Amino acid sequence: MTTRDAAVRIKGVSHQFGEAGETQYVRALSDTSLDIARGELLCLIGPSGCGKSTLLNVIGGLMTPSSGTVEVAGKPVRGPMPQDIAFVFQENALFPWNTVVENVRLGMLFLGVPKSEHEARAKQSLEAVGLAEFANHYPSQLSGGMRQRAALARALALKTDILLMDEPFGALDEQTRMILGEDLSVLLSQTEKTIVFVTHSLGEAVFLADRVAVFSARPGTIKKIIRVDEPHPRKPEFITSEKFAALRNELYALLHDEIRKTVAESARAAEGS
Amino acid sequence: MARRGERASSLGSRAVQVGFLLGILALWYLATNRWGVNRLLLPNPIAVWQQLLDVLKSGEYLPDLRITLTELVAAFALSMTLGTIVGFFVSRTRYTIRVFDPLFAGIYSIPIILFLPLYVLFFGLGPASKIALGATISFFPIVMSTIAGFGNVDRTLVTAAKSMGASDYQLFRYVLVPAALPVILSGLRMGFTIALLAIIGSEVIASLAGLGHHIVQLAEGMDMARMFAYIAFVVMIAALLNAAVSFLEARGRRRI
Amino acid sequence: MNPALRQFLLRHGGVVRLGVVVLLLIGWEIAARWFVDPMFISPPSRVLLSLGTVWHTSGVPAALRLTLFELAAAFAIAVAIGLTVGLAVGLQPFARHSLMPIILLLYGLPQITILPLFILYFGIGPASKIAFGVTHGMFPIMIAIVAGVQNLKPILLVSARSMGASRWQILRWVIFPHMIPSLFAGMRLGMSGALLGVLLAELYVSTNGIGHFTTMFTENFDPTKLFGLVAILAAMAIVLNEIVRRAETRFSRWR
Repeated sequence: MTTRDAAVRIKGVSHQFGEAGETQYVRALSDTSLDIARGELLCLIGPSGCGKSTLLNVIGGLMTPSSGTVEVAGKPVRGPMPQDIAFVFQENALFPWNTVVENVRLGMLFLGVPKSEHEARAKQSLEAVGLAEFANHYPSQLSGGMRQRAALARALALKTDILLMDEPFGALDEQTRMILGEDLSVLLSQTEKTIVFVTHSLGEAVFLADRVAVFSARPGTIKKIIRVDEPHPRKPEFITSEKFAALRNELYALLHDEIRKTVAESARAAEGS
Repeated sequence: MARRGERASSLGSRAVQVGFLLGILALWYLATNRWGVNRLLLPNPIAVWQQLLDVLKSGEYLPDLRITLTELVAAFALSMTLGTIVGFFVSRTRYTIRVFDPLFAGIYSIPIILFLPLYVLFFGLGPASKIALGATISFFPIVMSTIAGFGNVDRTLVTAAKSMGASDYQLFRYVLVPAALPVILSGLRMGFTIALLAIIGSEVIASLAGLGHHIVQLAEGMDMARMFAYIAFVVMIAALLNAAVSFLEARGRRRI
Repeated sequence: MNPALRQFLLRHGGVVRLGVVVLLLIGWEIAARWFVDPMFISPPSRVLLSLGTVWHTSGVPAALRLTLFELAAAFAIAVAIGLTVGLAVGLQPFARHSLMPIILLLYGLPQITILPLFILYFGIGPASKIAFGVTHGMFPIMIAIVAGVQNLKPILLVSARSMGASRWQILRWVIFPHMIPSLFAGMRLGMSGALLGVLLAELYVSTNGIGHFTTMFTENFDPTKLFGLVAILAAMAIVLNEIVRRAETRFSRWR
């Protein structure tokens, strides 16, 4: 992959929390390297604590890794890059005292988008996520799924090339996840964003991603990358296809041991404390 | 059936409360008019009522009210400014919160009215000592609620704003302040209420003027009926001020 | 900064707190020695050294003992009244609905306005101080007990009754133990209240209590002795508060 095609280059990133020897010492990530192509949707999946959220934060400049570098659009990442990267968090990221549209506009204010463009962009992104009618509602008046749509709208209005999503549907029920996943796929086929998506759900990963990076147990490193060759927008029929089942099974096989390892590790840690 | 029972019981409670009030008034009346309780101990309620009307009509409370209110406003302005500023800066790191919050809580656990003689020694018997004491006492609930308000802002909101490129000022104005405001407002209300109590209290104990002092004057003059009336008046003023502040707090919270 | 020192300070916030207090004391010392008229402020060093003199000023130890006695009496009576009224009101839903608003109303009144009345009725001796302490201390206890009884889970009562417990047994073995943490929380507030009431009354008028001496030291412009006395009282308040707080924690362990 040439520099021109790679939106994000991750080189040898490791991260630990705390100092060696302390009780809070955790090696979250271990020597992870990866190139993410422009316009692809990459899923990060793995057992709890394997460092996938940490890697996402490192890519987005919210965290400086203990070692290794990340380049985004050819520039080294040294802090948040709101011009290039937008985040969607799992929950609680909407400002509860602002309405949906006020939230979207506030994001643009922070970024420095000229005021003249606020109205148009807000309208556009709210329509894209299907929340145009709820623009003047408060987050507390919306369901969990709608709140996440609003968070996505806020991120979309920033018109960044890269979107980082940290388990955005993690707090939602299965049915809402399905619908949102389908809608996300449609949305993304219309834009050309590069998306990195952290999830726990195998089905979600296979349904949404162009490539899935499977993480090992802590200290996390990329065990294998699986490619999903299916054009966007992904149809609901894809879920019931054999290709889907095969990919999902492959993911399951890769993850199962890592998950067992993680559970055993935390049981050992609980015993020791 | 449950509904009717509930309504009956709440009517019943209301009846008990009204009955209680009327009963007290009746006992009071009987005590002074029929049972010969010394008027120097318990004035005739009718006389008290007349004195109250007279106080209100004559406006003799005005200079005292002005002094007390001035002291209150000055004290609260001081404690509000200092409290919110200090509270904000302490809330910036978890460490400073851990160090200073218990310190403030510890000092607040002492009855700060103890320091009144010190303030009187330093500032004299005039309004300055009342303002100083009022400001000192009300500083603590304000600073502690400011620390709590700013310190408990959901981290995700801050992270989200920073990831969108918010400057420090934008973060403060559009995220920290709206998030912290409900807690801070309730702290301000508590501070106001306690400043009022502290000021009236110090006027009663050591002062030359003000509402509290006037009550003491009437007591020393053994003018029982007028003193009762004045006490009722001061209680009403205090209740009015507290209601006003509660209303403002609710208004402030709804805006957010 | 030396990293080991930094780690130590980070772990022991109490040390830093102490440091802040020391810094304030130093500031006080400097201000008192060089900047302010010694008639109004006394430096902490002098205050510390003259604590002995304060203690030996005739009448001061007796006054402290008297104040402690007033406080103890006020607190005991406040607990007795608060507990009985609290239980009576809390256990009977109708009583609670009717009387609780009255209690809350009385609690919200600025009692300081009737302090002169208390003096008129109870005299300038210890009785008025005790009485004023009682009225300040009993309301928090009442309110805490009503709250404590109220949040008793009905299922506990049902299971006790299903095992055949009599009314008295339920009171003794279910309601009472459940209510103890609230009782102690109320007592903590009640202690502060009683202390406040007694102190307010003392500062207003006092012949043998500490209020007498605070007035005397103030009128004689003796900041050293005044600071010393106030410091002793503040220390007393902190110790009392701490004792009640520890008792509360100890008896609330099951919560």
